[in-house]
Amino acid sequence: MAQLEVKDLSLSYPGSRSGSTFLALDKVNVSIEKGEFVTIVGPSGCGKSTLLMLVAALLRPTSGAVQLNQKDVTKPGPDRALVFQDFALLPWRTVIKNVELGLELKKVPSAQRRKEALKYLDMVELGKFCNHYPHQLSGGMRQRVGIARALSVDPEVLLMDEPFGALDAQIRQVMGLELLRIWERERKTIIFVTHDIDEAVYLGDRVLVMSASPGRVIQEVKISLPRPRDLSLRNKAEFTAYRETIWNLLEKQVQANGAWRQDSALS
Amino acid sequence: MHRSLLAHRLAPLIVGLLSVSLFLLIWEIAGSTETVRSELVSYPTQILSAFKRLILSGELAQNTLISLREFGEGFAAAIVIGIACGVAFALSRTIRYLFEPIFVALYTAPIIVFVPVLVVWFGIGTTSKSIAVFLSAFIPIAINTTTGIEEISESWVRALRAFGASRTQIIFKAMLPGAIPSIMAGIRLAIGRGIVVLIAGEMYVSMSGIGRLISIYSVAPDGVPEIFVLVAVVATFGYVCVLLFSLIESGLTPWRSHS
Ligand SMILES: Nc1ncnc2c1ncn2[C@@H]1O[C@H](COP(=O)(O)OP(=O)(O)OP(=O)(O)O)[C@@H](O)[C@H]1O
Ligand SMILES: [Mg+2]
Repeated sequence: MAQLEVKDLSLSYPGSRSGSTFLALDKVNVSIEKGEFVTIVGPSGCGKSTLLMLVAALLRPTSGAVQLNQKDVTKPGPDRALVFQDFALLPWRTVIKNVELGLELKKVPSAQRRKEALKYLDMVELGKFCNHYPHQLSGGMRQRVGIARALSVDPEVLLMDEPFGALDAQIRQVMGLELLRIWERERKTIIFVTHDIDEAVYLGDRVLVMSASPGRVIQEVKISLPRPRDLSLRNKAEFTAYRETIWNLLEKQVQANGAWRQDSALS
Repeated sequence: MHRSLLAHRLAPLIVGLLSVSLFLLIWEIAGSTETVRSELVSYPTQILSAFKRLILSGELAQNTLISLREFGEGFAAAIVIGIACGVAFALSRTIRYLFEPIFVALYTAPIIVFVPVLVVWFGIGTTSKSIAVFLSAFIPIAINTTTGIEEISESWVRALRAFGASRTQIIFKAMLPGAIPSIMAGIRLAIGRGIVVLIAGEMYVSMSGIGRLISIYSVAPDGVPEIFVLVAVVATFGYVCVLLFSLIESGLTPWRSHS
């Protein structure tokens, strides 16, 4: 049985005129196995973030359901941890206090909290920076704190919404490698939204390609590249072929519906 | 490091001290040589001996303590209730629409006009003045708490909600810490308002306190030096208050002092 099931999930936002609604997601179906690394690409505004918010239960679906281990997900909780594009760190907390946040909300005693937080900070190689404040860190370091914070509650699923979107290309690659290393160690289920097709292919076991708004999953591309992966993969013919396939799928969506987001200009 | 410390901290202090000393010196000469009429403007050494008299008679200590107590009680209540009201306003439209008109009215009205009524209700003792301080101080604190919470980053709240945080946890771990700079600005504003209403209230109807002393010496013959002493005491108190809360603020917001 799949660990996470998204069943006929639809979501309408209140529209611009009163009484009207805007259909953002239209009967999305996804099924994810435990320990799988799934990446999602799709045109801007197709509902990728909306999908993650629904899995996190920060939004309620209009119809359909999200199930984790066969149980309906109804409220947010530490079994699904989010990593945000804007990091969402609390500026008044030190790095370690930020990582402790989830444990603190779960009322874990402070000594144990600290121990756990340090463990994950070491994992993202920020052990030395535990008493720094977020503003004293670079963007890449901040997101590593965000990842440590998400991992600290030992979630079943890690939801990452363009986590490296605010970082420049080089740091992005380093972060991708680091995430793979952590994932290979922890074997968490990961749902990873990105605009970068290379990133999607490079990281994922499977790439979900979404349609333009209203969002649906139009295709799943299984990525059978060997693991552990490293950057040399990008020059392999198979890699290029996957990238080509996905690009073609997306291009159709973009031609059918407005513009492909500028910052997604492909590498 | 040495140079910048000198430039940033010491230099303004030295220049400030020089200008104050020069001012005092000119004042002393003008007053003691009767260049200007000293019974109207007094002069520093005369004020200093008035200060000594006020201390030795015990008047100053006794009345300062009373004023401090009135201010302390009223202001502590203003901080607690002000922040609580501010949070309630930020969380509930209904509460906000219900109470906002009263708040605006209280904020714009000079609270001093309520003092006679407060004296009728609570007596001429310290309680009526504490309540006047509270009334004038808690509104800016409440208003700033509300705006502070409204302006915090949505992403902080979302990060907490994603972990399944309760409403109370969101208030204490995201909203209030995020609103601290704004709350502190409200408190600074409230200090000034509180001191004004305290001194004016004491001058107006009371048996004791610094304001009461000021009104006694303002009708006494040769009371001008004493009034200067008392004004300096009030000004010093306000200054120390602001300084204290600035220190508390930088203690509470370490992430801002770095940047
Ligand atoms: N709170 C909201 N109210 C109304 N409409 C919304 C709201 N949030 C998102 N939308 C709309 O829903 C659609 C999907 O938004 P969403 O943020 O999920 O897209 P996305 O795929 O994450 O886009 P991007 O790639 O730009 O991040 C968009 O058209 C957006 O305008
Ligand atoms: Mg998005």
